[in-house]
Amino acid sequence: MRPDVEPGQELPTLTRRITREDVRAYAEASGDRNPLHLDDDVARAAGFDGVIAHGMLTMGHLSACVLGWAGPGARVERISAQFRAPVPVGRSVVAGGRVRAVEGDLVTLEAWVRLEGEDVWAVRKGEVVVRLSSPDDDRPSTSPGSHRSSGR
Amino acid sequence: MNPGIEGKAYPPVSFRVDPDRVRAFRACVGVAEGVPPTFATAAEFTVFPTVIADPELDLDLRRVVHGSQEYVYARPLEEGETLTVRTRIESIRMRAGSGFLTLVTQLEATDGAVVCTARALLIERGEP
Repeated sequence: MRPDVEPGQELPTLTRRITREDVRAYAEASGDRNPLHLDDDVARAAGFDGVIAHGMLTMGHLSACVLGWAGPGARVERISAQFRAPVPVGRSVVAGGRVRAVEGDLVTLEAWVRLEGEDVWAVRKGEVVVRLSSPDDDRPSTSPGSHRSSGR
Repeated sequence: MNPGIEGKAYPPVSFRVDPDRVRAFRACVGVAEGVPPTFATAAEFTVFPTVIADPELDLDLRRVVHGSQEYVYARPLEEGETLTVRTRIESIRMRAGSGFLTLVTQLEATDGAVVCTARALLIERGEP
């Protein structure tokens, strides 16, 4: 267990701008080529001002925020997100979170993404369960039954 | 959307965790190492086009938004491994003119163990 991790702790926020090129690259890497993310005319017909980022790209940014905080070797065991508002291309998003519970190396967080400079939530009620890599663990993988006691 | 086909399972598809694709995905989402936890979306999207185009489901993609997403991992995906992707319609609910479609996708290793369970909620908004 990392001594510095405790319930209530806030994660450092992570900000990025999402460009049209980012969305295009994400469509290729993910296989989600819905024209809503690639074609302004389609997006406008759907009621948006232009193409919007994939919700999953926003969720990926949320995972980057959590994993950047959790450090090398951390593994996400569960991640969930509710997509609340579209992210138009060219906008910046801010991801953040807070530690909800700590049980040994297993940390449960609530996490979110909002549009920078606005009170608009792209992701709310995000939840991440991440297993941190123990500094005293010399093996790359651990299972719940193989943990050394933290009292050593 | 046709709520009558709840429970429908789509034919399993093979999916390789291609290291080049994982690298590209990491760059997209800004994750430094390993297979990013949202990479399983690439496996889901080997089947989702079939679901979206399923005439029995009768989905209007122009009105569909992604409501929520969840991934639960028994272990991280490993670069280079091949998984079997099984998607089924867990539930369809109609509310206030909108349809709520929950798709569950299981990623199975070659020994049949479920490595990842993905749950996607797609919302077909009501006609304006």
